Amino acid sequence: MIVMKTLLIRYSPLLLLAAAWEVAPRLGIIDPETLPPLSAVARAWFRLLRDGDLAVNGLSSLQNLAVGLALGIVIGVVLGISMAWYRPVEVLINPLVRVLYPLPRSALIPVMILWFGLGAASKIAAVFLGCLLPVVIGAYNGARGVEQVLVWSALAAGAKRRQVLWDVVLPAAMPEILAGIRNALALSFILLIAAELLISQHGMGYLISSFGEGGAYDAMFAGVFTVSAVGFLADRAYLLLMGWALRWRG
Amino acid sequence: MAGLSALARTLPRWISILALLAAWQGFAEAHVVSAFLLPAFSTVALRLYHDVLSGDLVWAVALTLYRAFVGFVLAGCFGIAIGIMIARVSLARWFFDPLVSIGLPMPKIAFLPVFILWFGVFDSSKILMTAFSAIFPVIVAAWAAAEGVESVLLWSALSLGAGRRQLLWEIALPAALPQIFTGLQVAMPIALIVEIVCEMAMGGEGLGGSIMTEMRFADSPGVFSGILAIAIVGAGLVRAMELLRRRLLVWHPEALAS
Amino acid sequence: MTATGISFRQVSHTYRPPRGGAVLALENVSLEVREREFLALLGPSGCGKSTLLYLLGGFLPVETGKITVGGELVTGPGPDRGIVFQNFALYPWKTVRQNILYGLEKQRLPRPERERRTQELIELVHLKGFENSFPAQLSGGMKQRVAIARTLAIDPAILLMDEPFGALDAQTRALMHEELLAIIRRAPKTVVFVTHDVREAVYLADRVAVMSARPGRIKEIVDTSFGGRRGAEIASTPEFAEKVDHLWSLVRNEAIRAQEQRE
Repeated sequence: MIVMKTLLIRYSPLLLLAAAWEVAPRLGIIDPETLPPLSAVARAWFRLLRDGDLAVNGLSSLQNLAVGLALGIVIGVVLGISMAWYRPVEVLINPLVRVLYPLPRSALIPVMILWFGLGAASKIAAVFLGCLLPVVIGAYNGARGVEQVLVWSALAAGAKRRQVLWDVVLPAAMPEILAGIRNALALSFILLIAAELLISQHGMGYLISSFGEGGAYDAMFAGVFTVSAVGFLADRAYLLLMGWALRWRG
Repeated sequence: MAGLSALARTLPRWISILALLAAWQGFAEAHVVSAFLLPAFSTVALRLYHDVLSGDLVWAVALTLYRAFVGFVLAGCFGIAIGIMIARVSLARWFFDPLVSIGLPMPKIAFLPVFILWFGVFDSSKILMTAFSAIFPVIVAAWAAAEGVESVLLWSALSLGAGRRQLLWEIALPAALPQIFTGLQVAMPIALIVEIVCEMAMGGEGLGGSIMTEMRFADSPGVFSGILAIAIVGAGLVRAMELLRRRLLVWHPEALAS
Repeated sequence: MTATGISFRQVSHTYRPPRGGAVLALENVSLEVREREFLALLGPSGCGKSTLLYLLGGFLPVETGKITVGGELVTGPGPDRGIVFQNFALYPWKTVRQNILYGLEKQRLPRPERERRTQELIELVHLKGFENSFPAQLSGGMKQRVAIARTLAIDPAILLMDEPFGALDAQTRALMHEELLAIIRRAPKTVVFVTHDVREAVYLADRVAVMSARPGRIKEIVDTSFGGRRGAEIASTPEFAEKVDHLWSLVRNEAIRAQEQRE
């Protein structure tokens, strides 16, 4: 009950803004062409849901996001831990990471289009590229930071090097890996939408921009709202997941 | 082996870059993939050189930098003001806290069509979109910085006779500057990349627009040289911010330690 | 009431943290500080002695009771009450000179006067040669000397010191004691000095007010003037040791109570 109350107080400015969003266009304070009233946007949202637009494009977006993110996480963790664990890998990959890190991955979307054409593959590749580095760095730092004594005591207990990797290093590196994944999650949304704005065809980014060009502004705002809400909720849900996974930290 | 990896970590970045470029060149010359998919570094570098000479690239970079810079300055000024207000005025805090906490994880690029609707297809929409994306890290940093100013600093100034206004400008802001500047350093690359993505989406002149045009013409060396230009410009801006920080914060313990 | 005599009448203070319940920090504190007297506020951690100092300094509002300086109610900070903090509170972006100048600038002294005073003070605290150094380049003792110089610059009649030597090592602290006494000898002031160090209190102060554990009350006031003598000579007298023992026994109980409060 108290949690509800504090949540309500904390987010009450949003309620105020929502009310303003409804009232101002209706009263003509803001041109209803450029900002349709909240109720119109809500109606458009339900319409999109009913007509399947939301489902088709939302699904396309989520699919591409999920694949790119999953690839980025798996390969990123493997790469990052390998870098920390096997010296040759580090020597090889470290320069690549250090050089690519400052380069914004959104800039590489045109290259993805050159390589994979205008389709899902480019979007997945863009998301993958965006997610990869934060996860690699998180896994690398996490694995490097594992206390030597933990590793040594496992080795002394008879575990082979590979087992130690799986049983000791990976769990100990979890906090940093999960933090890196949180970063990657946010970046994945950005890269997905950016790629969809540029590649079109399907997806929420395409939905938003095509409604914008077509003048169906209430539907456009409904799309923007959906993307923002999903992005925000995904981050919050991930925080809960992270908290649960790291509950041993206290 | 241990020495080699330690070397890999401590080498100056430019050697890593050289190694990478050499690998790129070798890979391209081995024709593992077609020259379309991965033009040789020599081809791309030559193309970059020509574009710079012809003035096209300089013009595109100037446009992009101008718009990104204006957006960055807007984000900086308003972000700092809002951040400090949130720290000092409870009403501002109540109002902005949910906005900021919701805004941070949102993919703000989704708002681009909204900005186009509101501000047209020319500079203003790009600049405002850039500012909108870059303002969040500045607000967060300024907020934390303002809250982190030790009260004893303010109290000592008060007892020495400082007035309210002097307290803000002469004590609070300089004390908050290190953290605020860090926020600005985070916001700057965001401003650059958002500006470029806007240009890519909307076309026209500028780095982003040129790259998209070259892509449509399947001008692979052109695309790669554009990206190389972005990398160089981005690195240059980051370096510029670092140098500026060193000058402004010459008194900071971390600067004096080195 | 003399010009800089300080009077605390039934002062209470409640500390209200942003989260959690209100805590009574001070309860009905009444105390008189004579002009040009060096008074030490001695007590265990958390007893509210710093709070009392901040109320006097005008940094916290006086909600219950009255605090007057020279008959006037304290309503806010002012140049008549200079303050020196434990962690120096130097402005890190200003040089030593600029730090000391700050108060003089705020008081709008004419430039030649400002420069002269600053130079005087730098020499007074033995920091010649470090005028253009930044605080990050100075040792703890040097930083505190800058802080003292900065406060003395505007010549406040009252000097408030909040465990000023607490962050320094024992040797530096001993040296600072001598320097402080020398400074006060040259330009006498009313000093209210907060500390938890019994020896320091007996050594420096004319009177020591012992405070109880939270909520802070004045438990007892002990005379430590040694007939007007000051300095190293008094430290080896049996009288000195007696006073220290007496005060320590007073403080000890309160320190134990404060410890229990924390658990």
